[in-house]
Amino acid sequence: MAEVIKHVSLWLVLSPLIGAIIAGLFGKIIGRRASHWITILGIAVSFVLALYIAKVIFVDQLGSFNFNFYSWIRSGSFTFHVGFLVDRLSASMLLLVTFVSLLVHVYSIGYMKGDPGYQRFFSYMSLFTFAMLTLVLANNFAVLFFGWEGVGLVSYLLIGFWFNKPTAAFGSMKAFLVNRVGDMGMLLGIGAVLTYFGSLSYHDVFAHKDILLGQHINIIAGLHWNAVTVICILLFIGAMGKSAQMPFHVWLPESMEGPTPISAMIHAATMVTAGVYMVVRFSPLFEMSHVALTLVLVIGATTALFCGLIGVFQHDIKRVIAYSTLSQLGYMMAGAGASAFSAGMFHLFTHGCFKALLFLAAGSVILANHHNQDMRKMGALRKYMPITYITFLIGALALAAIPPFAGFYSKDAIISAVGLSTIPGSTYAYVCVLISAFITALYIFRAFFLTFHGKSNVPADVKKDLKESSWVVTLPLIILAIPSVVLGFILVKPILFGHPGVFGQSVFVAAKYNVLAQLGTSFHGAWQMALHGFITLPCWLAFAGIATAWYFNIQNPALAEVLKRRFSWLYYIVINKYGFDDFNQIVFVRGSQKFGKFCLSVFDLKVIDHFFVNGTGRLVNWISKVMRRVQTGYVYHYAFAMMIGLFVLVGWRLL
Amino acid sequence: MISLSTYLILSAILFTIGMVGIVLNRKNLITVLMSIELILLAVNTNFIAFSDYFHSNIGEVFVFFILTVAAAEAAIGLAIVIAVFRSRHSIMVEDLDKLRG
Amino acid sequence: MIIEVLTQIIFYIFALAAVISALVVITTQNAVKGVLFLVLTFVAMAGVWILLHAEFLALILVIVYVGAVMTLFLFVVMMLNMETTNFKRGLVRYLPLALVMALLILVMIILVVSPQQFGLSHFPAPAAVSAHYSNVRALGNTLYTGFIYPFEIAGALLLVAMIAAITLSFRGPLRRRIVRPADQLKVRRADRVRLVKMKTEKGGDAS
Repeated sequence: MAEVIKHVSLWLVLSPLIGAIIAGLFGKIIGRRASHWITILGIAVSFVLALYIAKVIFVDQLGSFNFNFYSWIRSGSFTFHVGFLVDRLSASMLLLVTFVSLLVHVYSIGYMKGDPGYQRFFSYMSLFTFAMLTLVLANNFAVLFFGWEGVGLVSYLLIGFWFNKPTAAFGSMKAFLVNRVGDMGMLLGIGAVLTYFGSLSYHDVFAHKDILLGQHINIIAGLHWNAVTVICILLFIGAMGKSAQMPFHVWLPESMEGPTPISAMIHAATMVTAGVYMVVRFSPLFEMSHVALTLVLVIGATTALFCGLIGVFQHDIKRVIAYSTLSQLGYMMAGAGASAFSAGMFHLFTHGCFKALLFLAAGSVILANHHNQDMRKMGALRKYMPITYITFLIGALALAAIPPFAGFYSKDAIISAVGLSTIPGSTYAYVCVLISAFITALYIFRAFFLTFHGKSNVPADVKKDLKESSWVVTLPLIILAIPSVVLGFILVKPILFGHPGVFGQSVFVAAKYNVLAQLGTSFHGAWQMALHGFITLPCWLAFAGIATAWYFNIQNPALAEVLKRRFSWLYYIVINKYGFDDFNQIVFVRGSQKFGKFCLSVFDLKVIDHFFVNGTGRLVNWISKVMRRVQTGYVYHYAFAMMIGLFVLVGWRLL
Repeated sequence: MISLSTYLILSAILFTIGMVGIVLNRKNLITVLMSIELILLAVNTNFIAFSDYFHSNIGEVFVFFILTVAAAEAAIGLAIVIAVFRSRHSIMVEDLDKLRG
Repeated sequence: MIIEVLTQIIFYIFALAAVISALVVITTQNAVKGVLFLVLTFVAMAGVWILLHAEFLALILVIVYVGAVMTLFLFVVMMLNMETTNFKRGLVRYLPLALVMALLILVMIILVVSPQQFGLSHFPAPAAVSAHYSNVRALGNTLYTGFIYPFEIAGALLLVAMIAAITLSFRGPLRRRIVRPADQLKVRRADRVRLVKMKTEKGGDAS
């Protein structure tokens, strides 16, 4: 069986790559239709193989498979291997990644119609899938990092897909650079792991994790920290960069410059979830350090609240959904920080479905409005786009965590877990996630009402073309709407409270932090949980959010204006995203530019050019000018030189 | 009693005077030639002093040949001075700077 | 005893004369004066050589060196008709440095030849010679037996020097103006006169 799984996983990872290479290199030769069919075929193969693996892992319950393919680099006594770990956690992620990728590929046929870079787009998307699958299936830190960097790179390529647009180029650079900062922390963490464990494979690290107990790292002289805390914090910095937690969240809104399908795939379901996946994968390490867990929890909760708050005031529909992603990622991290790793992963899956749905629906709306994304120029679209309307509504209800939709189960589990958690910072986090539940409902339903209800602000020339999008666009919407409704209901028991549960041995929770076990005692079935949910605080907050959104946008829009003027200072802070972007721009961007100019003018021009390079020339010139005076042409001068030479020679011998 | 070193010191003084004459001379090319003669004289004195105090004739033989060569060299040197004068019309050492680089 | 004192007095007189006239040789402006004082230097040194029992060479110095070479110098000086140079050209810039260098070299040499190495204790004064001692004979014995070959070469060298001197300074017949009647008679009109036709200037006056 192990041999079969080995080959299956290899083909699973390679077939998107093959599709990407063919579409990328030969796209112009084989044409558009062939390009998209080749790549979709590659992803479809991956999806089918992922289903097969899921069957083996979950249905046949054959345990996990860990194997190395070949030795990648040999360096002294250490060897980097390339290998895959197929266990419950990675198998479930495989399903999500391939499923969403397949749907988005089909959707892109309609969305990117007529775009000059059509083949390039499909190639990039398949390449991204390859990198993400490598990341998910990695069995050691080196392959993980390869996939990590790979998704970062392809994300850059895809955000800057329309590279002639300056905002797109800027956004792609920003995404890549902020990612790199996170990657540096990741790399340091990997280095620390290598130092302490002598091996990068997960198996070795998890088996010997007790080595780290009691070990300290000397950060700066006199500052001793637990080794495991330092490692976990460094790895989490990488996760912060990838999953856009504060303060590395700045790249996600700008990443909306890319086409909508990639926002759906990369920035909803796959790349940004890599950080959460990583934290859950390394749960054995994180459980050993409550400092790291606190950090994860606090940052996650803070991101959830503050980024959601920004989303309330945005005008661009994709921006709203982008900030919503940031907020939900914060939820997932908070769940992981509260040691409810299964809950975090559960939310990852449900979020993957309904967020992708929301993005694709937004894309459908944008397409219909001739690529206009400003919600102030939309309104009352429900008459023209019924399928989009219904699916968007389903997605919004799932996002706002209204029972019995999927988002409710996962989000509620997280909120309860954070409430039960006892690590420092959990009270603050609980308050944040509660308020954020209200905010979530507020922003998504504001977007909903502005777009599909109310007065129609659509310009006349666009209005006459308004109609539902083609089947390649709406079919993925419908397909994604189904899990958004039922996935939570189906999965809640197995994922959170099952034994061995969906994730089984892949996720490790220490006994003192096991909030899910506590929750499990009060769990009596999914339907019961839904009914109970209607009388819990988060649900009320969600309904309050919907009501507020309806009131401000349909019933009494003028009141919004009044409030905006009264609290203009608050509005100003939020609309400027708390100044993170400005800070980055002024300090880092302009600082680097100034530093670069300084290096140019001082080091390059003055020191190296003027002093060393030209200076050598001038020195030679000067020496020759001085030496030229010796050649006077007068014989008696030469005789004098002889005299001096004689004196030196004899004097030296004498002495 | 005059010791050997007295004669040697005398010849050293003459030698130095000759050297100074070559180097510190800007006026005359002939002065250079004369200084060379002084140097040769000093060297000859050295030889003869050693020949006397070592009871050997070899030093004197040497001086014999040095005198010969010195005479030949003085003749040729003066012929060169004449040639230089005919082409440059000046024998001021200062004006002879064609080797200047 | 008296002999020794006298010897010393004579030596110092001659030595002083030599040194002073050498100084005059190198400092004087007048070339003739310089040559003459060089003669005096040589004569004084000849006296010193006699004190060193090298009579033949002392006389050779006077006869050959002074008589021939110095005379040659005088001939050249006269022929070139030099004026005494003017003082306008400034003193040599590196005069102090050169003097210091020379003094240093002198001190160095004296250190080498000091009485500590070459004093009377190391090399005693030579004994007086017998009355029949002839320096010429002794020198001739050594010269014509052991050094006959260098002797012949010295002769050849003098020949070469003579040829070289003549080559350098002989201007030769090319520069002289001799009347050659045969060439004068062979001259034709065509060698001397050439008529050139020129265009007349337009509009010019006949003035």
